[in-house]
Amino acid sequence: MAAAARWGKRLGGLAIVFLGVTFIIYLAVFALPGDPIRAFAGDRPLSESVVSALRAKYHLDDPLWRQYLDYLLGLFQGDLGQSFSGRPVAEQLANRWPVTVVLALTAWVLEIVFGLGLGVVAALKRGSLIDHGLLALTVLASCVPVFVLGVLSQQFFGVELGWLPVAGVRDGWPLSYILPASVIAVFGLSAVSRLMRGAMVENLEADYVRTVRAHGFGEGRIVGLHVMRNSLIPASTYLATDLGYLLGGSVIIEGIFNLPGVGNLLFDSIRAHEGPTVVGIATALIVVFLLTSVLVDALHALLDPRVRRG
Amino acid sequence: MKLSIRAGLGVALAAALSLGLTACGNDSSSDDPTSGAPDGASIVVATETIDHLTPGNHYSAYIAILSLFTPLTSLTQDEQLEYQQAESVTSPDGLTWTIKLRAGWTFHNGEPVTSDSYIDSWNYLAYGPNAWVNSGQLRGVVGFDEMQGENPTAQTLSGLTKVDDLTFTVELKVPDRQFPIQLSDGQTGLYPMPKAAFDDLEAYDHFPIGNGPFQMSDIWASDRDDIVVKAYADYKGAKPALSQITFRPYQDTNTAYTDALAGNVDITAVAGGKTAIAQQEFGDRLYALDAPGVDLLAFNSNDPRFADVRVRQAFSMAIDREAINQAIFSNSQIPATSLTSPSMPGDPAGVCGDYCQFDPVAAKALLAEAGGLEGQVVLLFVGGWGQEDLFQAYANQLRQNLELDVVATPSTDFADFQVRLENGEYALNRARWGALYPSQQDTLHSLYTAAGDGNYAAGGYHNAEVDALLAAADGASSLEESFAGYRQVQERIFADFPVIPTFGNRYLWACSERIDQLPSAAGSVYFARVTLK
Repeated sequence: MAAAARWGKRLGGLAIVFLGVTFIIYLAVFALPGDPIRAFAGDRPLSESVVSALRAKYHLDDPLWRQYLDYLLGLFQGDLGQSFSGRPVAEQLANRWPVTVVLALTAWVLEIVFGLGLGVVAALKRGSLIDHGLLALTVLASCVPVFVLGVLSQQFFGVELGWLPVAGVRDGWPLSYILPASVIAVFGLSAVSRLMRGAMVENLEADYVRTVRAHGFGEGRIVGLHVMRNSLIPASTYLATDLGYLLGGSVIIEGIFNLPGVGNLLFDSIRAHEGPTVVGIATALIVVFLLTSVLVDALHALLDPRVRRG
Repeated sequence: MKLSIRAGLGVALAAALSLGLTACGNDSSSDDPTSGAPDGASIVVATETIDHLTPGNHYSAYIAILSLFTPLTSLTQDEQLEYQQAESVTSPDGLTWTIKLRAGWTFHNGEPVTSDSYIDSWNYLAYGPNAWVNSGQLRGVVGFDEMQGENPTAQTLSGLTKVDDLTFTVELKVPDRQFPIQLSDGQTGLYPMPKAAFDDLEAYDHFPIGNGPFQMSDIWASDRDDIVVKAYADYKGAKPALSQITFRPYQDTNTAYTDALAGNVDITAVAGGKTAIAQQEFGDRLYALDAPGVDLLAFNSNDPRFADVRVRQAFSMAIDREAINQAIFSNSQIPATSLTSPSMPGDPAGVCGDYCQFDPVAAKALLAEAGGLEGQVVLLFVGGWGQEDLFQAYANQLRQNLELDVVATPSTDFADFQVRLENGEYALNRARWGALYPSQQDTLHSLYTAAGDGNYAAGGYHNAEVDALLAAADGASSLEESFAGYRQVQERIFADFPVIPTFGNRYLWACSERIDQLPSAAGSVYFARVTLK
């Protein structure tokens, strides 16, 4: 019962966050200076009657609260609205999200494999040259701006060596995704390996490990079964949250690598003052983010019995 | 990073370089330039993100649509009118024009191209409630005004009359000798659509059926998908050398450029800021095509500090166009000496006279003579278009040569730029016009008449004398005579000096080693005439 109440409260909270955030985003898009129809038309202005017809079509002359209400009503009926170029937002999301999901999962797996792996190695060899080398590398990697990494890797692997496609998703997974996913993963990977190393080092020195060791268990079993599992908590919390971010798409990387994902769609839509599209994407992103935060909690409970019982 | 400027033809092309995202992978069959078509005559062209493919209702699909449709007329590289789908376009008085179509031409679905194709398409385009973005291209036709507003009084253009299956007449509101040029490539709204289009316009937008040298190969499902076109076997015009073209949308021009370096893209537009590096990396495979666009700096006509024409002239003389062209554009643009692009037929080069020549001493003297200028001068430009260097250079020159406090101020984006223009938060602003058709008429009307689309950007300058001179030039009895008329218009405008012309545009295109020639006119590439090595 207590669990049900807790979850009920949690979902109620989600609904409030959801409403609040969509409204703020709606407001923010409308607070952008300039008229959306004219922004859309650019240097070549439209004739008056076209402008008024378009304004009527997108209800731009209604007051803001009315537009937001209409939008919410549509949302509950499963209608995410239309972009100014007349494309359903839902359709655009459906087209774009698979690309972002593939990119995100690829990057995420790289973070898990290399982040955890390097963290474990660094912890086991703590104080050694390898440990210090990894520290230097990961700090350095997380300092380089992502677009620099993106453009450099594109030049090197795409143009100079010609091993991987420069841009686009035409070569499918994995070829088209290796470069962008690696670039995205670098930052998370560094964080994960630092977290993993820290927790491992702490646990390796812990009393219970000394006790286990005193019982005569092999080092492999100690590290694998006890230390690693207990050390996963900080890294897994980070990884789960990070998945939420990754699924939101990377505006910069999707732009540089010309990947038709949601990050890209969001960027274009903000630039074009496409209120409905921006809110539609943001709404979907919020849902994903909220879901991953629930996932984090569940995962936490799984790994840490204290959370489960508490 | 986006360089795009959307004024008309010119910009559509420049923007073609600018970019979006790519295909979703569901049409991966034909994208490899080396293995696409059986005979290998297949190329990949980078474009910006494409919004629509319906010729009357698109902003950014110009280069793709040009391959799918054939205009009534076009201009040759040496600026001569050439008939395409039209057999002739004639008028005794410039008021009523008779358009005769070539016989035997068909749309890609086999439907013949007739006068009804044009009349139906133009009626749909002109009808206000349809809100097609290119509808303004018909505004000179009698009956257009009656079709505007929420409750139009007419459904069809009363100025259109069918004579027979291949002949129709167009009655204009006022005599206009430029009409045949208006029917050329850039005004895509005037392209014909087959009857089949009107059965399902939504489907047509994803699979346009045109009268051009190429036809759609697959349905274009999403705006980030490639648009693949293949040669149309029954095309009656000059047969293209290419068998297939893939138009690939990029969000970022720089990515398209890198992809061209890697050999994955055969033709891409190049952003102005990349000229120097592109010259190194592409050498003679970098083309600078004369374009019908012109860059200007326009004065705020409500700013009393610029009320004296000598102040405005002094500003113009304080700008060293040659130096900026060298430093910013690697000499790829054309220092302006008139209000129109030098590539415009009849452009009165040099009509600006000494005031467009760099002369800091004279500039300073002229400014002093006019009583000088107090306070800060804000030079407003559009942020995020990669033009920071250019406008800093203008500001530096004005600051140094006139010893004034000049600051270059970017807007957040184009919409914000428009707001600031309207609020008058500037002394000088960045203006440009990319003409939709290669006639001085479009630039002069758009910028310097009250009804012009670009008048707000040109500081709102207009007066009755300019209007009268323009009307006389439009109504001239021949093209040559109209050129003389437009020269007078330009002289009259220069007497008031409301703007500083800076550069005539050239669009830069980089090509892969496979491309032999990049044929063009008025800044547009004719893909149908591209040849491979």
